Parts: sequence; structure tokens; C-alpha cells
Amino acid sequence: MTALAVSGAIAAPAGRAWRARPGLMVVGALIFCAIVYLGPMLSLIGWAFRDPQTGWSLTQLWRVVGDDAYQLAFLTTFRISATTTLVCIVIGYPYAYLMATSSPRLAALLVAAVMIPFWTSVLARSLAWMILLGRKGIINEWLVAAGVIERPVALLFNGIGVQIGMVHVLLPFMVLPIWAVLSRLDASLPRAARSLGASPARAFLHVTLPLSLPGLAAGATLVFMLAIGFYITPALLGGPNDLTIASLIEMEVRDLLDWPFGAMLSLVLLALVAAVFALGAIFAGARRIAGVEER
Amino acid sequence: MTHRSGLSRRSVLLAGAGASLTVASPFVQLRSARAQNREIVVASWGGSRTTAMREVMFAPFEKATGIRVRDDGPPEAAKVKAMVESGNVTWDILDTDIPAILAMVNAKLLDPIDYAKIDQAKLAKIPSVLHHPYGLGHLIYSFNIVYNTKTFPNGTQPRTWADVWDGVRFKGARSFPFRGGLSPQLEFAAIADGVSIDKVYPLDIERSWTSMDKLRPLVTKWYANHAEAIQLLSTGEIDICCTIGPRGLVAKKEGAPIDVEFAGGKLAPENWAIVKGSRNSEAIHQFLNFVIDGKVQAELAKRIPYGPSSQDAFAHLSEAEAKQLNTSPENLAKQFWTDIEWWGKVTENGKTHNENQIERYARWMVKRG
Repeated sequence: MTALAVSGAIAAPAGRAWRARPGLMVVGALIFCAIVYLGPMLSLIGWAFRDPQTGWSLTQLWRVVGDDAYQLAFLTTFRISATTTLVCIVIGYPYAYLMATSSPRLAALLVAAVMIPFWTSVLARSLAWMILLGRKGIINEWLVAAGVIERPVALLFNGIGVQIGMVHVLLPFMVLPIWAVLSRLDASLPRAARSLGASPARAFLHVTLPLSLPGLAAGATLVFMLAIGFYITPALLGGPNDLTIASLIEMEVRDLLDWPFGAMLSLVLLALVAAVFALGAIFAGARRIAGVEER
Repeated sequence: MTHRSGLSRRSVLLAGAGASLTVASPFVQLRSARAQNREIVVASWGGSRTTAMREVMFAPFEKATGIRVRDDGPPEAAKVKAMVESGNVTWDILDTDIPAILAMVNAKLLDPIDYAKIDQAKLAKIPSVLHHPYGLGHLIYSFNIVYNTKTFPNGTQPRTWADVWDGVRFKGARSFPFRGGLSPQLEFAAIADGVSIDKVYPLDIERSWTSMDKLRPLVTKWYANHAEAIQLLSTGEIDICCTIGPRGLVAKKEGAPIDVEFAGGKLAPENWAIVKGSRNSEAIHQFLNFVIDGKVQAELAKRIPYGPSSQDAFAHLSEAEAKQLNTSPENLAKQFWTDIEWWGKVTENGKTHNENQIERYARWMVKRG
């Protein structure tokens, strides 16, 4: 209601003025952003720091910081996110390299292979993994039938299941930025290295890899940041050792109705993500992580 | 068609205004209908449950009283909180469980039920444990031992909680609930440790947690929602599950290799509760009197296998139907009621047992293992 009233009030004078000053056209967008992003953010901060008795207090912050259970949950979240990022690099870099260097037709196929699962819901993909990885799932049945293993191995409800599910969901965020950098890379540079006598491996390590590092850093930062906020996949595919901070925030907000504490947990998580973003920005430049290309 | 070009700007505007009025008018009517006690909004859980309720409760009620019943949902406490705090309450009645009600009472989101307006003859048929000041129990769910019949054929299933805790005599993957506003299943931990079902409360919290420690290595999956639990059971991923018995019976009806052991089960009500600031008190209590009727509840129980709260319902059900319901006199005797008062009791730290134990559950989960 307020949103409509505000934009209505602004729209009338702006409508006459924008012809003279086209810059005014962004006013609407700014107001939209303020209402949709800034407003909730401020209210979140309000929830986290407000105190009915003393006005403002750090009570909630001390509750988060002083509790080793929450510290452990943050650690678990970071451990899962870091592993996911590493696995995504190991799989994603060669894949992106192949995409950038193969024929247009093969490249298109490789892009499709990454993008099509990307358009499927995370929940559906997590559930599909439950069917594939289960004790009586397809993978275990095949492995047993082929004589590779004697009895089903635990691929689900533990760290393995979480990693498989998360890497599957997040791989495109690693592949695409690396591919973007590699495909724009001047192909004559590694060729020059080769002509000067460098082995293919040396040309890659000393020319291609350093030049693609911004893409790698962008991908790693994106994957890590997204992994930190992951909720559905660890909850469905994980075990008790994979309890992430997102699950605890949900419990506080939805079940215990302790919104101030939930808000503070979210803010602490946000601060940690911001720290990671800052680190990534130093290596790759904030514009590329944010998806804005720099030329 | 030829007149199209001749349409004046004014007539188009008028037509547009007319159209928008037509679009808006049902909404305007709804609002005023609700204000005049001619309509109530019931927030329930959707799916087959709401469909069945529409058929045996809402539609007959509309016909009998002329008061429209709209359904909405799901009645999550966080949604109610947002409604009440923004002053934009659009629900009148909730269909929800005790943990949610306790949380909402604590946050002052509910109005009490006016028991003076409830039909005393019908009320007398409902066990008094279900007459909560803020919730009238109408449909009973229960946590039971639900098991895969391929793993445990022909009566070889675990029959007591001690059996479930016994990983040597009863091999198989266990699954227990974690989250979803659920308190930990401390009662079963106590019973598995030797407490009899009529002496569960007041819970010996520490004894129960010690027993939970023993269960922990046997549990393959701490499931997040009940549908997931049934799915895991029917695919054989899990052999023994502590979950909602009636949900197991729904799956059994659909052909899944699942059955339910009622012995030792924990009964808990889904309740009718009234949202704070609702102005339809008369219509709401009229509705409550209609839907707590034994015959109406029996009809619902024929469609969804949750126990009716009114013992009068069993006068309208066959013996075979009653056997599958957790509140039939025979099954009732094998189980115990969740002690709402104990869970809702405010402890020294200003929080209820329920809130404390949910938090402790999360802490236990994170820190062990």
C-alpha cells in the first residue's frame, strides 16, 4: 500500500520532468530497490539490535558469538561451502577450458549440458539424487550387480550426498565465468609461448592459467557465497553432521518465532559472506563477481 | 465490428471503468461479508485434507447456515505473526497443532475459545485433555512406530520403543524427525529406557537425553518433513521410522509396503484455534459447534485416517474402520496423550519446555557426532 502511494506521488511530477532530464527515469527503479531491498534490510537490522527494554542492545549478537553450537554450525557451513567450491574448480575449470577450445558445435552441446539442469528446480534435483544415491538406489544397485562392491555404500545422508548435490547445483556458476574469460582470451598468446619453445603444459601454466584467474576467482566467489546460504540440498541429502546455519535460521524464524535471534544469525552470515565478497573483489574485481563485465 | 473505429475515447474509458468495477466487486463483497459474520476463513493444510473438509464440513455448514467458508493456508505461525502485527488479519480459524498454538499464545497471536458458546453435549464426547483454552482438538494425529513390511513381514516388527532402540535384535535403518517445529521425541526415549506410558510426564529430561544418545548411532536419517519420511520408508531406504501413524496408513492404503504399530504411540491433537482480532466470533463458534459433531467427524475419518476427537464418531464407524484409527477405544488404550501443559510450561529461563527442548535438539544435533 505504502509502496503504491509513494510511487504514485513521485510519478506525477517525474512524468513531466523526465523529458528534460532523462536521468530522472532511474528514480522509479531506485525507489523500487529501496523498497524491495533496503527496507527489509533495515528492518532486519532493527530486529537484530532492538531491545524492548533498553532500546538498542547487542544481546542477540552475544548469543550468536558466545554459543559454541552456533559456532560449530557456522564452521560446518563454511566447511561444506569450501569443499563444494574446490570440487567445482576441479571439475569446472577443465570443463570450461574444453568449452572454450572445442569446435562451435561441441561447445554448444557442452553449454547445453551445463545449462539445462540449471533451469530445473533445486528441490527436484535434490530429490532425484535421493533416488539415485540411496541404499537401494540405482547407483548402488549397479555397483553391486557389477561386483564392484559387495553391499551398498552410504552415498546419502552424509557429506558425500551433500557434496554431490551441491556441486551439481552450483557447477554452472563456476563454469560460466571461467568460460567467459577463456573464450575471450587472445589465442595467439599461448601460441606465441609455444613458438618460443614452451611445452603445452608450460604454456598453459604460465600464460593461459594466469590470464584466466579473474574468471576462476569470480566463479569461486560466486559458488562459495551461494553455497553458504544453501538450505534444501544439505537438509535433504545430508546427515546430522551437515546441519547448516540456514537450517538453524529457518528453525528460529519459523518454529520458535524468535525473530530477533534469527535476524542476528542472518546478519552474522551476511557479514561473513560480505567478507568473502571483499576477498574475491580484491582478486577478481567486484564488477565481474556482480556479473557486470569490464572491458 | 464496423463500429470499432467509431468508438469515442470517452466510451472506452467508461467501459474500462465498468470492467474494473466488475473485477473489484466480488472482492468488495467478500470484505463486507466477512465483516457481517456471513463468511469465515479457515486456514488449513491443503491437499486431500482440505478437500475432505470441504466435502464433509465446509459445504454442509454453508448449506445449513448460509455462512460461507473460504479456505486458505498453510496456517504457519510465522504467517499469523505477520498478519497480526501488520493489522491485516485475513484468517479467522486455524487448523493447527499444539506446538504452533503454544508459540502463538506466547506471541499473543490467538484469541481464546469461548467455551460458553460451545455445545456442551458435543464437548462432553471429546476427551477433556483436548479442551485447551486456545485450541479445541478435532483431529488426532499420533507419532507411532511405522515400519517397512518387507523388512519386517508377518509380525516380526518392533512392537515397543525399547525394540526400536535395540539395534541388535532389530536390524535396520531408523529415521526420526528433526525440525518442522517439532519438539524432540523425548517421551519415546524415556519409554525405551523403561518408563511406563502412564508415567511419562513430568518428563525426566536428562534421562531422556541420555537415552537419545543411545538412539543416535542407529538413526540413518533425521528427516525434515513427514512426506519425506513416508517416501524413505516406502522405497526401503529406511526400515523403522518414528513418524505420524495416520500418514503411514495413507501410504498403506495406496499400496506402499508400510504398516503402523499403535502400541506406545503419542497422541496429539490438531486443533481449531481463533486468530486474534477476528471479528466473526458468532460465526466462528457456530462453525466449531458444527464441525465437532461426532457424525461429521466420522465422515472425515472415512476419508482421511486421522482419529476423530469425539468418541461419538465411533457410533458411526464400522469395526474395521475403527481399527485403523488411532482414537478407537482399543487403540486409545495403548497410547498416551502429549502433555500440552508440560510442554507449554514456562521454565526458569522464561521460555517454555517446548522452546527449550527444540533449541536443545538443534544444539545436540550440531554438537554430537
